[in-house]
Amino acid sequence: MSELVQEVEPNEIAEFRREVRAWMQANKPADPGFKLPQSFLEVESDRQFEFLRDWQRKVFDAGYLGLDWPAEYGGKGDPLKRQRIVSQELSRARAPFLVNVIGLQWAGPTILHYGTEAQKKRYLKSILSAEEIWCQGFSEPGAGSDLASATTRAERTAEGWRVTGHKVWTTLAHKSKWMILLARTDPRAGKYEGLSYFLFPMDATGVTVQPLVKMTGEGGFNQVIFDDALMGRDALLGQEGQGWQVAMTTLLFERGAAEGSGGGQATSSAESVHRLASLAKRARRGGGTAAEDPVLRDRAVELWIQEEALRLGSLRARIPGLNLDRPQALRLMNKLVYSEFNQRLSELACEMLGPASTLWLGDEHAVDRAEWPRAYMNSFGMTIGGGTSEIQRNILGERVLGLPKSK
Amino acid sequence: MSYPQIPADFGFTEEHQVLRDSARRFLEERCPIAEVRRLSESPLGHDPALWKEIARLGWLGLVLPEAHGGAGLGHLHLAILLEETGRRLLPAPVFAAMLTGFALEAAGSAAQRARFEPALASGDLVASFALCDTGGGWEAAEIEASATARDGGFVLRGIKPFVIAGAEAGLVIAPFRERSGELALFAVDLPNRGVRVEGEIGVDPTRRSARLVFEDAFVSASARLDTGGAAMLHRVHVRGFAALAAEMVGGAESTLLMTRDYAIARKQFDRQIGSFQAVKHPIVDVMIGVELARTHVLAAAAALDHAPDSAEIPARMAKAIASEVYPVAVRRAVQLHGGYGFTWDCDAHFYFKRALWSRAMLGDGAHHRRFLAAELLGPSAEARA
Repeated sequence: MSELVQEVEPNEIAEFRREVRAWMQANKPADPGFKLPQSFLEVESDRQFEFLRDWQRKVFDAGYLGLDWPAEYGGKGDPLKRQRIVSQELSRARAPFLVNVIGLQWAGPTILHYGTEAQKKRYLKSILSAEEIWCQGFSEPGAGSDLASATTRAERTAEGWRVTGHKVWTTLAHKSKWMILLARTDPRAGKYEGLSYFLFPMDATGVTVQPLVKMTGEGGFNQVIFDDALMGRDALLGQEGQGWQVAMTTLLFERGAAEGSGGGQATSSAESVHRLASLAKRARRGGGTAAEDPVLRDRAVELWIQEEALRLGSLRARIPGLNLDRPQALRLMNKLVYSEFNQRLSELACEMLGPASTLWLGDEHAVDRAEWPRAYMNSFGMTIGGGTSEIQRNILGERVLGLPKSK
Repeated sequence: MSYPQIPADFGFTEEHQVLRDSARRFLEERCPIAEVRRLSESPLGHDPALWKEIARLGWLGLVLPEAHGGAGLGHLHLAILLEETGRRLLPAPVFAAMLTGFALEAAGSAAQRARFEPALASGDLVASFALCDTGGGWEAAEIEASATARDGGFVLRGIKPFVIAGAEAGLVIAPFRERSGELALFAVDLPNRGVRVEGEIGVDPTRRSARLVFEDAFVSASARLDTGGAAMLHRVHVRGFAALAAEMVGGAESTLLMTRDYAIARKQFDRQIGSFQAVKHPIVDVMIGVELARTHVLAAAAALDHAPDSAEIPARMAKAIASEVYPVAVRRAVQLHGGYGFTWDCDAHFYFKRALWSRAMLGDGAHHRRFLAAELLGPSAEARA
């Protein structure tokens, strides 16, 4: 079975990887004895949050975050692009995820791209250290896949902007200091041109954060109501009216289609076929194990082939000569393929478990603390959030294959 | 066993790109689909003049040693070339020549290689490798054809169906079972009085085949490739998985582009049909499949170049995924071309037929996954029983 990383690496990278691996081994926090979230989508309690924030802080203090970000903004300016090594080793160690995911991977790179000098100086370092947590205000009750129809309004005031509206599926809003906010600044302009992008302070008056409960019964995401909430002039990121373009940049980072992340991984439990295989050997079925069942074996191997294709594809994506026909394809399809792979994998795990898969969180007999049915349900956060699989297929069809627009 | 280490850059260089560009340009000009169509109705099934040109370009000797007229290049070169020939459904028996080269390299003595490889590289010799045996199987255990020592040579008996270019080949290499029960590869010059060559009527008109019936065919002792039996056959197979998968990814790519172009050009309900998600999304899924399969093809080639002894898992994964993706690509191509797709005039059926051939040969997805399952999960219930 595959290790996460099998490529032959240049010495200095291999050396760095060994160092990080040893550090993870020595510093990965012990099981806290309470239920941890599987991903950043379900951080509920204060103690979960504090535990995760402490962990990110520790990784940052060790010098393992922001490696690719410029030194003047709290990063390391490492020309070797070593950040992905850290992310791989975090996953490999099955370390807790870094809680400021939205800051590290979405907001941070977008600010680096569009921010003024002052904005970069103000926001980036505290993203890395987890001192200030970020959330994302894009989706609305009436604007999901059709994000550009967002109606949350930002009106100019003498000192800045006044926001009125309603955002949903706002992961981590209850813990956030800042929100990347897409709002309509010019209702008379076109659907796309009327939008602007803001760095909104969540402690402003007029902001109400209400928890939403997911199908797993877990919290962690919210709706946010803005009722004449105020923000300063300097909250605007990019130009007024440029919001759609900036938001699309954020989505490229969010979908893993562009490099530049501050680091980290979105889940602690990146499931792998390796873990599925070990489950299969434990799961009883027909007097033997699921690992011996010919049909389940075949489906597990299909996933193994996919997993290797994804892993090898991330190497291939970095070699332009191996992507000449469709330079953007691998990066743009990554989110779709990876999220659907994870969904199939966790569902297959439930099938392998058979009757044992029916026990839920809190039952002392639940296999792996009901991780598998929980992972299966939570996998929909990834196939729906950040642009649904259906929207991803539109994007791939239109931008990569040149098919006509669907509307 | 796990997936082996491959270089992070797959060993890819400028040279590979040059080969790809030149192969693509050459085939665009010399092997358009109209030409494939014309040749599919010709008696031989391919163009001998084009065969000579291909040989002059160095393709036939691509992975053969320079000392024998080859270019001495690796599998990544080969994968890149075969993706291009697969794209164009090149009817010339290049794949057969490659299999023959793999067999000579695996099992041939220095003298045998010196005798056959220069002619293979120059194109003077059309050669093939008989994958399958009497019952249609191709794995070592399924080889029934026999070789019996007699009069200082061997007598060969058995049936070898589905031999690519079998009707025109001047040399065929094939596995036979000896008295000891072990396999050996034999290089049989054709024609041979004891070999009846029956042209087959194949589904795929761009890849001609023949059934070779060995009726006590006598060959000299030097026809027996002198090392290794089943292990060498296995080496040929592993390289064959990777090579055929490369060709298949090329074919799937072409099929995808053809379908894409049609979805852009064709209008119904006053709209381009590609704007309907019921058409667009299945095409996108084919593209995703093609890209995942292409990654496996490139990685398998890199594994063969850099870790040949542990390339079996990569090669099988490549053939497994290509065997799923190409058939889906052609199925959708016919379907999405609508009524036209169902006709002889639409080119989709050529790819459709090649996909059927390619999936069937050297193991389909289920076949390879069965092997891979044992690597991932240990023995199955039936294997234990």
